[in-house]
Amino acid sequence: MAALRALVGVKRVIDYAVKVRVRADGAGVAADGVKHSMNPFCEIALEEAVRLRERGAVREVLAVSCGPPACQETIRTALAMGADRGVHVEVAAPDYERLGPFQVAQLLAALARREEVDLVLLGKQAIDDDCNQTGQMTAALLDWPQGTFASALTLEPDGQWLRVEREVDGGLETLRLRLPAVVTADLRLNEPRYATLPNIMKAKKKALAVLAPAALGVELAPRVTVLRVEEPPQRQAGLRVETVADLVAKLRESGCI
Amino acid sequence: MITENCHPGLHKETALTPGNFLDPEVRAFLEENTEVISSGNLTPEIRLRLLTPRCRFWKERADLWPFADPFWAIYWPGGQALSRYILDNPDIVRMGSVLDLGSGCGATAIAAVMSGASHVLANDIDPIAGMAMVINCELNNVNPFPIAIKNITDTKLDKWDLIVLGDMFYDEHLADCLHHWLGKCIKMYGTKVLIGDPGRPQFTGHIIHRQLHKVMEYSLPKPTRQENNGLTSSIVWSYQP
Repeated sequence: MAALRALVGVKRVIDYAVKVRVRADGAGVAADGVKHSMNPFCEIALEEAVRLRERGAVREVLAVSCGPPACQETIRTALAMGADRGVHVEVAAPDYERLGPFQVAQLLAALARREEVDLVLLGKQAIDDDCNQTGQMTAALLDWPQGTFASALTLEPDGQWLRVEREVDGGLETLRLRLPAVVTADLRLNEPRYATLPNIMKAKKKALAVLAPAALGVELAPRVTVLRVEEPPQRQAGLRVETVADLVAKLRESGCI
Repeated sequence: MITENCHPGLHKETALTPGNFLDPEVRAFLEENTEVISSGNLTPEIRLRLLTPRCRFWKERADLWPFADPFWAIYWPGGQALSRYILDNPDIVRMGSVLDLGSGCGATAIAAVMSGASHVLANDIDPIAGMAMVINCELNNVNPFPIAIKNITDTKLDKWDLIVLGDMFYDEHLADCLHHWLGKCIKMYGTKVLIGDPGRPQFTGHIIHRQLHKVMEYSLPKPTRQENNGLTSSIVWSYQP
């Protein structure tokens, strides 16, 4: 079987369990001193790459994260979960705030070309900005086929084609993609493994390279301006009615019926 | 033990005979936080104290471990393949001298003693690994071998019949350094070199890989696969520049 090389994007995001707060200046959310972890959909993408490696379909899994130095913790987690090598594309704080899916897709596409990978596996979206664009843009920039929201993945025995099952309205859709391709992971693709302390130790003996965006020939100029970030409106208190007749009366009163 | 790294209970540059230098407190800590294992790897005939899922630190935060990272508490897949190969092919070490570079738990050095090597030196940069090796020798009723705690590639070359290295090619710089040093050993003394590695890209992508001869490939047992995400086999290579 062909031994492919896979690139997996691992984004560092505010942990899903943290109550997110909008910053006083209204330009973003408060991230300082807040627990961060790997975006759950990226964990699923990485798990799938490691499983492909365990099945002998992939010979190398490269984990990539773009952002400030703290992203290296996320890459280390990916290495502990089974990635072979890490690449940190260092984007300093001020640029990182303006980094959107288009810039990340440019960085990933440039890396995919440079590393000569056959498969780019990404989470379908990140839980911080919920953009759901990076995979699609990466595929477009590379001019590779894409299978988004994958819920199952099989490599055909010739190692040239990938079958991607997708959960669509009304059932399942199966796509056949010619490699190289971009695949984004949905929630039910797999259940990611937990990194134990020995895995974390072993990960310290794996290589992690740091690159500047310029080394990949990518300009980070933002194309989108964030005008304002606001908390969602506070939910108004409801009221309790005792009987059905009361309910009907209230609905009439408010013009609903 | 010959040590260059100072550690409480160990003295700098002192040759110590195994058995009399084990700090009782460190020994108690190691015994409390590891488990004796003789299955789930390629060499069930060797008993080792390792970090297992039943140990507290399996899921504990790494920074609570009071010493350097316990790389010796893992039986690495490259070392497993080397040890299996030496146990199955005792002629490769019998009556000869063996240097185990980066010994960790000491399994490959123990395998060399079991297979009849006349002189074995185990080497690691972590003094706690040296202590673990002494305990592991006891577990296997093997006469303890000398242990050198230092970066051996910084020292003058000695004559060895065989040098074994398990899982040492994980970093490009280290790989360059070992490549150069091993080349000198072979040139000067005709030393035989065996390398165990489960297919790390830093190894398969390194220039040394072009000068290797595949000796044996082992499929990793299921527990070893489960503990080494992504890995399925381990290979013994002979380095022949």
